Amino acid sequence: MGDASERGATAGRSSRLTIAGRELAGLRAEKTILLAIAIQLFIAAFSSFLVVGLVSMYDPGSLGGAEVEVAGAGDAVSDLERAASEVQGASVTRYEDAAAARLAFDRNAADAVVVANRNDAGEISAVVTAPDATVETTVIVVQLRELLRTYELNERADRVAYLSEPPLPLPDRTGTSPYFTFTYTVLIPVLAFLPVFISGSLVVDSITEEIDEGTLELLRVAPVTLGEIVDGKALAAVAIAPGQALLWLLLLRANGTPVANVPSILALMTALTTLVVALAVAISALAPDRRAAQFLYSIGVLVLFGGATAMAGGPANAVARLAIDSADATTTALVVAYVGIAAVAYVGVRQLVAANGFGD
Amino acid sequence: MIDRLRRVLRVARWEVARAGGGVDRRTMLAALALLLVAGAVLGGGLAVGAVGLDVDRDVYRVAVDGDSPYADAVEEAPALTRVPVDGAALGEAADLVVYDGGRDGAVETVAVRASDTRKGEAEAAEFREAVEAHNERLMRAEENATAAFPITVTLQYVSRTSGLDDGSTLGGGGASGDDGTSAGGGGVDDAGDGDAGGSGDGDTGGSGDGTSAGDDGTASEPAGEGLAVPSVGGGTFGADTIGSPGAISPPFPFVSLLLAFVFLVPMNFLIQAYGSSVLDERTNRRGEPLLVTPLSPVDIVAGKTLPYVAAAVLVTSVIAAAVGGGALSVVAVLPVALTFLAATFVGAMFARSFKELTFVTVGVSVLLTTYAFVPAIFTNVTPVALVSPLTLVVFDLQGEAVSAGEALFSTVPMALGAALLFGLGLGVYREEDMFTQKPVARKFLDALAVRLSAVEGVALADVADRKRLRALGSVAFLTACTVPFVFVAELLAVATLFALPVTVSVPVLLVTIAFIEEVAKSVHLYAGFERGVFARTDRVAVAVGVASGLGFFLAEKATAVVQAVGLTDLYVGRAAFGSVAGVGELSPLALAALAFAPLLLHGFVTTVAAVGASRDRTAYALTLALATLLHAAYNFGVVSVHG
Repeated sequence: MGDASERGATAGRSSRLTIAGRELAGLRAEKTILLAIAIQLFIAAFSSFLVVGLVSMYDPGSLGGAEVEVAGAGDAVSDLERAASEVQGASVTRYEDAAAARLAFDRNAADAVVVANRNDAGEISAVVTAPDATVETTVIVVQLRELLRTYELNERADRVAYLSEPPLPLPDRTGTSPYFTFTYTVLIPVLAFLPVFISGSLVVDSITEEIDEGTLELLRVAPVTLGEIVDGKALAAVAIAPGQALLWLLLLRANGTPVANVPSILALMTALTTLVVALAVAISALAPDRRAAQFLYSIGVLVLFGGATAMAGGPANAVARLAIDSADATTTALVVAYVGIAAVAYVGVRQLVAANGFGD
Repeated sequence: MIDRLRRVLRVARWEVARAGGGVDRRTMLAALALLLVAGAVLGGGLAVGAVGLDVDRDVYRVAVDGDSPYADAVEEAPALTRVPVDGAALGEAADLVVYDGGRDGAVETVAVRASDTRKGEAEAAEFREAVEAHNERLMRAEENATAAFPITVTLQYVSRTSGLDDGSTLGGGGASGDDGTSAGGGGVDDAGDGDAGGSGDGDTGGSGDGTSAGDDGTASEPAGEGLAVPSVGGGTFGADTIGSPGAISPPFPFVSLLLAFVFLVPMNFLIQAYGSSVLDERTNRRGEPLLVTPLSPVDIVAGKTLPYVAAAVLVTSVIAAAVGGGALSVVAVLPVALTFLAATFVGAMFARSFKELTFVTVGVSVLLTTYAFVPAIFTNVTPVALVSPLTLVVFDLQGEAVSAGEALFSTVPMALGAALLFGLGLGVYREEDMFTQKPVARKFLDALAVRLSAVEGVALADVADRKRLRALGSVAFLTACTVPFVFVAELLAVATLFALPVTVSVPVLLVTIAFIEEVAKSVHLYAGFERGVFARTDRVAVAVGVASGLGFFLAEKATAVVQAVGLTDLYVGRAAFGSVAGVGELSPLALAALAFAPLLLHGFVTTVAAVGASRDRTAYALTLALATLLHAAYNFGVVSVHG
């Protein structure tokens, strides 16, 4: 008796593996996985481009070169000049009066005009004129803000006696790459989660296609249970996810971005893949046809992904903290929790499908 | 004509009836329920403060004493988390340790020690920002507002009154911007300089029809209230608003951009349904009854597509009405929607299974979303942004005037691209391709070969010359049709390689671009030889090679608009489009030689590739590589001559 059940278990395992192998062979034949990787590569390359572009707009100094020429006027202009000497990328030229400064602006001798006047109360009013709707407006305004903030700091320091609580001294300015935070908090989570959604989508397609073409009926004539079919398909889909994520993490590492806690990240993303695959199986069991299933799946993924980024302890944040090596006990607990949730969800969905079947 | 329209409408009605059955009421209810649950969770989370879009929450650990005033600053910054100083070894439990000078209230100085890594540097910068933000909050609570905020800033945007010289001094000294490139401050050798230098030129070049449109609109209005803000900058600091320096927000069309993105979201659902519908025709030969009716494939495809276009227009109009866009937004989004549908159509015609279709759909939506969305981010920065119709939407949402030229420039190429894609897919909308499981590459060759006419290898004089010319004309025309896609591919290549240092990116770019162009010029020749449309002789190979090179040359010259947008001013851009632009002060003879050198080049290298294509696949791959290298060498020569 025991022998028979053992043989049954071995048969079940091998049929699961057979089905998983069949799924993978299908993927390989269509080279879809290459397309998937190409898409991910494109997203990674393009988001980097995006950030370089944005940063060069917002932080022109980071790329070097941009220098904003300000025409200064008014009775407080000397203080403005003093501030400009402390700010990189901005210089102030003094003009006799506002009209002269404005003329220089109109003649393109200056990028912006600042007229700074001190009133009787000691307050300074600065009237800033920036060019409208030209190509460099953003860069100019960013530099102007930097200049005026430095000016404000200086002025505030002169009046510190009148303040009930003085501002805290600032630490020294250090050079840093603006892409650093982006790489860890956006790029790595995105690269870790893309394979998750791809795997789920594969499962939806694979199951609904079999229902649509009637091949699922054929499979059921074979000596495998419905649960084993689901297992096989899920196994194939889950198996391809961590490899892709690992590829990205290794690529980043080769590019000089060290990624910490790789095993934990892979465990987390595999758990999420299992969760999404369970969702995909459930949806294809419920939805009447592929179109409806894919539609529901996209909505479901949208909701999940939105939740993942928005939640404080969400998986996106967890991956960022793991990758940047700021993980603590809560992060580890989170990973374990996700693994647990995924296991429960998958087993639950599998039971339901095995009991009720697909379609109706 | 009327008859045809009626036929198309009949197919459209049938498609609507069928699609209605696919996504039934139960599915819609389920989707709605999902969204409601998500909304409720998000809303509830927002209410209790557990939800926030900070992916960077607690990624940096700062060691600071609990009773230090800096502890508050750290705790208020979402990205920073506070750890106790005791036992906080740098690089293990914390990456930054804060030492403040005094114990009793007044802090004189502060020192930080960060671990010697990039993380430590980033953390120090983040900490400085957190202290700045903390100070700002402190000052806001201050009673003596004059001491806390000694400076009030009034920011106004005005257009320069002199319309003669629109260049700018950015990047250079005080001299007026007569030469954008040299104002970049010496060697134009990195992306930043290239950008800053190029923008001066781009502005001057485009001011004839492009950027000045906004200026004209504002200049006529009375100063004071009509001074248009370049954008809705977060809403805190508009035109002529008064506040402290910290409240200045640079003009960035953030809100408009976000709203523009909303237009793209429904497209993804639309193409999913559309792709399924097209592929449905192909599985289990379902589309066969329709094919044997007197309806032509064009009628069928037009009819099947029409409901989706109508849905796109409807959804776009609803969104436009909701976010405050006008008719321009709808007109601008239409070509985007068409391209989404066209690319999906081609994908669904080529795909072998739903799995493959899913990847194609994802690929299409990622590619097109970035292509439409990314340039729009630079709406106020560079005229190149107009390559995406979404830029028009951003302009429309900001209430800025758009000239007819700008509108055409940004919508027509994309609409044209959509039409060409539909043409490509229609080539295989026939019995022998629709219901067979051919690999994508072979189907692609089929689709190309359909558009070619036979070129026989017999002696020149025998065949009627007109027929032969027409066949070669179709080769040249097909090559010309690829030019929009070549430009898109090159633009994407420029964008992708933009982040690399110029020493690496320019050579890689030159080879990539040469490769893209060579493939575009010769892949349909290969298709022609493979499918037996062309006779496999060297004479035919030379003839079609020259024809293809000529077609490419003419089309490329016709699209000299690239120059007008100022794309050529970006250094990488110049490398990419070097062969069409950058003709400086050269003698007329050299100028003429330069104008026709590309023709010789295109003709010659394409012939090389065509001769290989007439043999077999290996020969084609080898000659294609050779042609790419020749082309890249030529481009390199052009770039080094023009600097």
